[in-house]
Amino acid sequence: MERIETLNNGNRMSTQELLQLIQSKIDAGCTEFEINACGQHNIGGSSWAKDRNKDLKFLLRNPGQRVGAMGMKGTSILVEGSVPADTGWLNSGAEIIVKGDSGDTTAHCAASGEIYIGGRVGTRSGALMKHDPKFKIPEFWVLKNTGSFSFEFMGGGIAIVCGYDCDGLKSVLGERSCGGMVGGTIYVRGKVENIATCVEISTLDANDIEFLRSGMKRFLEKIGRAELYNELTNFKEWHKIQTVAAAKKERMSIAEFREKEWIAGGIFGDFITDDYAVYELAGTGDARCRFPEWNKELCIGCDICVKNCPQKAISENYVVDDEKCIGCGICSALCPRQAWKMVENNKEITK
Amino acid sequence: MCRIGAIKSKKYLHPSIALKLMRSQQKGHDDSGFAFVMQDLGGIFEHHKDLPILSMAGTVEGARKAEDILMDLGFKRVLQWTPHITNKKGLKIDPLPNYVFEALQYPKSHKYATQEEKEELLLDTALKIRKALEEDNSGYIYAFWPDTLVLKEIGSPKDIGTYFNLWEENSELCSKVITAQCRQNTNYDIVRYAAHPFFLEGYTVLANGENTFYEKNKYYQMKLNRAYRGFESDSQCFLYTLHYLHKVLKWPIQYYKHVITPLSIENIEKRADKDVLLRIKASLSHLEINGPNTILGVTPDYDLMCVCDSKKLRPVVIGQNEDMVVMTSEVTGINELMPERDLSKDIYPAENETIIVKNDLTVERWQQ
Amino acid sequence: MAAVKVNELHKEDLPWIIEYDESKCIQCGKCTAVCSFGAISPCVEMRKKSGNINEKNQYEKVLVVKQNVGFENHCVGCGMCANVCPNGAIKAVRNLDDRYAIRYRAEKGESLKRGGRSNLNTEGRTLDKIKIGRISQMTDPSLDPVRHTFEIRAPFGRVLSADKLGFDVSGNQIIQTKSLPPNRWIYPIIFGDMSIGAISSRMWEAIAIATAYLNEKMGIPIRMGTGEGGIPVNLLKSRYLKYMILQIASGHFGWNRIIETMPEMVEDPAGILIKIGQGAKPGDGGLLMANKVSQYVQEIRGVPKADLMSPPTHQGLYSIEESVQKMFLSMNAAFNFRVPVAIKVAASVTSVSVYNNLLRDPYNIVGGFFIDGFAGGTGAAHEISLNHTGHPITSKVRDCYLAAVHQGRQGEIPLFAGGGLGQTGSFAADAFKLICLGANGVFTGRLLLQIAGCCGNDTEKCNACSTGNCPAGLTSQKACLTKRLDIDKVAENLVNFIVATDMELKKLMGPVGCSTLPVGRSDALITVDRHIAQRLDIQYSI
Repeated sequence: MERIETLNNGNRMSTQELLQLIQSKIDAGCTEFEINACGQHNIGGSSWAKDRNKDLKFLLRNPGQRVGAMGMKGTSILVEGSVPADTGWLNSGAEIIVKGDSGDTTAHCAASGEIYIGGRVGTRSGALMKHDPKFKIPEFWVLKNTGSFSFEFMGGGIAIVCGYDCDGLKSVLGERSCGGMVGGTIYVRGKVENIATCVEISTLDANDIEFLRSGMKRFLEKIGRAELYNELTNFKEWHKIQTVAAAKKERMSIAEFREKEWIAGGIFGDFITDDYAVYELAGTGDARCRFPEWNKELCIGCDICVKNCPQKAISENYVVDDEKCIGCGICSALCPRQAWKMVENNKEITK
Repeated sequence: MCRIGAIKSKKYLHPSIALKLMRSQQKGHDDSGFAFVMQDLGGIFEHHKDLPILSMAGTVEGARKAEDILMDLGFKRVLQWTPHITNKKGLKIDPLPNYVFEALQYPKSHKYATQEEKEELLLDTALKIRKALEEDNSGYIYAFWPDTLVLKEIGSPKDIGTYFNLWEENSELCSKVITAQCRQNTNYDIVRYAAHPFFLEGYTVLANGENTFYEKNKYYQMKLNRAYRGFESDSQCFLYTLHYLHKVLKWPIQYYKHVITPLSIENIEKRADKDVLLRIKASLSHLEINGPNTILGVTPDYDLMCVCDSKKLRPVVIGQNEDMVVMTSEVTGINELMPERDLSKDIYPAENETIIVKNDLTVERWQQ
Repeated sequence: MAAVKVNELHKEDLPWIIEYDESKCIQCGKCTAVCSFGAISPCVEMRKKSGNINEKNQYEKVLVVKQNVGFENHCVGCGMCANVCPNGAIKAVRNLDDRYAIRYRAEKGESLKRGGRSNLNTEGRTLDKIKIGRISQMTDPSLDPVRHTFEIRAPFGRVLSADKLGFDVSGNQIIQTKSLPPNRWIYPIIFGDMSIGAISSRMWEAIAIATAYLNEKMGIPIRMGTGEGGIPVNLLKSRYLKYMILQIASGHFGWNRIIETMPEMVEDPAGILIKIGQGAKPGDGGLLMANKVSQYVQEIRGVPKADLMSPPTHQGLYSIEESVQKMFLSMNAAFNFRVPVAIKVAASVTSVSVYNNLLRDPYNIVGGFFIDGFAGGTGAAHEISLNHTGHPITSKVRDCYLAAVHQGRQGEIPLFAGGGLGQTGSFAADAFKLICLGANGVFTGRLLLQIAGCCGNDTEKCNACSTGNCPAGLTSQKACLTKRLDIDKVAENLVNFIVATDMELKKLMGPVGCSTLPVGRSDALITVDRHIAQRLDIQYSI
């Protein structure tokens, strides 16, 4: 057991000095530490013994940010009181226990190991947690509640928020948590409000209950609150949060909106009648920009127009089938006697 | 990242407590400076609470200039406090030759003046001194206001503490409200005026953050009040907005959040007071802030206040025991001052909250 | 064969030449059928049959497509013939030796009229030379459109400074006791001001449907400026009126119906816009050529079939004081001071003085200042106005904003900017930059036509909005053309465009770390042009 005091005669050991001291002690064979810190960062995290079978143990008082950040398998860290932000950031296998509260972004990007918090955690906690299937799934236990925006972009792992001592809170996950979450599971006891739309809240199944039952015992022992076991294992009070497969939100079609909700008969209905049918380009009938008119007096019956009409719209009697004619004007152009005249279609939309 | 702290106590405290509060939060230290504001003074100033105190630093010439202006206006010095300087070799500090902390009697002309007239005089005088000091760069005036003492210096907080002998408690310099920061805005030049906390007419503000609406705020505030000037740091905007809302408009402090981080229209529409909130949002849209922030403030009645940006992007925690309430960036500072407190009473303000600590140390939590 | 003389209009004079490849043509007739201008026709060409000079000339008749030459039916380059041709046998090609404009004036003794925008963009676009350069990289994090919530809203209506709100304080509560001018929060993009008549019934209704749909189905509170061509009673009586900003311009068309319908309205309109001027043709009134004044347009506007030329100014408004009194007061009074009343002016050297006067108006009844830059579009204008009069929008928005800043009154009369936005493809970027320079929002009209299928552009393509022959059915009143437009498709495209723009605005707000619109945040902008930097007071970067 190595005891380290970081404040001597008012002189504070810097984070770098402390971390290097710890590593040198580990290299010298020490595996257990008791450290009275003064806000130094990253304690217990990226320290490791060359002999990977040697586990490291830390007992910490008043450490600073990122307790156990980048923590490794075999490391266990116990903090007596409350800690600031980023506890267990990038945790890759350590066991981190904080008996008090932990600040913002606790368990941020944790990918393995266990994080046990005996109080509250701050905003954006559990954000970007993930699970690499080759390693043990990360667990993140919180006795009380989380701040807002927690579990953003969570990709995997398990978080458990026990909602203890949360009377009067509107939501034990704060506001707008789980934004951009794509994977993982959150178990939560108590009220949850204003959560992202990409997740759904469901009831527990037998496997969930089994997991929580065994895990809860372990968690409460770690944080020294075993007496709460019964209170926290009424599984009717628990829910599970997971992502929902992003169903493409169906939008009402404009046509349906126009027909069902828009002003009946259209806004111009008192002036004009419009069936909203759409003319194709170079269409027939009323869609024509101009149409042919036959002058019997001038016709010599040569049939050039009948033979050359691309739409075969002119009958032997020189009657134009309006449903075929597109108003191209070829009849008029070819007629040796100008018996066909093209007339502009200036019709307006009317009642 | 800046680290900030505010302490409110039932008993008078020596500023060494601020140094201790900030000691464990050294991530925020980059030797750019240390500054504190003491309000509700005890010690040698306890019996002069009504008299304005000049807090300035400068060259000999600067101190003389200030003195001349004050004497010309008819102010009379009642009491002066001079820091006990310990100038050891190797201290990281960039000291000025003179530090002036003196309580003054109002001019005879203001013997029967109203409170408002006296405040006008103090503001005019402070602006005049500032202008005179700026002309030849001969010093800085941080406050000219009753019951308030401000010290700002460039250098390592620890060494500044040593230089001014602030590590050792004594009974001559103490107060019930202390706000402190161990760093200044290092985005731009290192200027004493840019160091938090900022003080104006009884209001103190310090912030940990970045105000991306600085230019918008500044353009608007420049025209609002002749006292709104300097803008050496984007965080001064927070002070001026607080002053404008509370002192000029006389709005309750709970509306500060509605000005700096107004709710979305969607959320306002659901509320009974939507008409008022929509008006505030429109009329003071240029005082909205954006970007990550924790703001600590003190009002002239010595209430403490804490608010965060609407995304809660910066840390803050509030710890309390029977004798004091401490607001600071990281819990480590509170752990040092109050290791035995009830942890479950710690408050982690949410993004939509305003925390107010009253004189009897009751803590009010207002949801926006 | 007719004699050819010099002093006539020839094919070579025309702005567009039809390129026709007879070898590919199958004589299906679609190109001539589709051409709404009658610019091409089938035609029989006489060709010499054989090349043997010893034989008597023998001719054969060949059916071809020929370009017509005439002032009324020349090709405008719309490209419809190429669109319908199955074989790519025909297309319109820009004639670099075009003499049309000169020939037209010389022949007709009239000024040339057309629609669209200025075709002389000699200055280049200022907005394209500005970049969003202040990117949050460290202490002020960039925002994430997924995780963070953004609010894209603009105030519409007079905003009073906080000290004039007349609030009472009771305990910790503020109580509003005074009646205050109407103010609403809307989407910062307004569909702008194209009148019934100027655009087809289907196009106008499609914009109205898209507006309603965006509000009711997409949660985007966009507003539509009606333009001044009358408003159908069906709309006035519907709940959708609340999304409409009714325009009153110098023609006062259709206002009798609006007034008569007032008792039957179930909703207030979103606002009233007093149009003083238009960026595309400043100092000019509205213009609607007779061939677009169809039966229903005549009714709704209360006019006969004739060229409708609105006066360049509101008769009886000869000073700003009078306009404040008469127009603003009357329009405010019409809806019992519940509806914001705004003004739209063409950007001009004098815009700032107008804005200053309105800011100082003691009655606080001016609820918005719309500035329309010279690159704005129009349904019909004299080309001389389109190409040679007006003022760019960018510096004018900036000037007005800074004039307000100078008085400490920024934001009191919301600024809306328009005129050529989205011209080079990035509407969201244009809007964002103008907002950073001081605008509260933007408006756009011409762009809506492009979204709906307009085949014209700002380099003299089509621009035939004034003729009534719009080949896309956007600006025509003829049934055969109007009905080419698929109203549902157009509305859907408009909805999609705004949804995309909304996302793009967030993609610009995120990097500068703003979750609300960065009005006046010129510190977010940079430019590589020294003159622009100096003029707009933004950072010069190289």
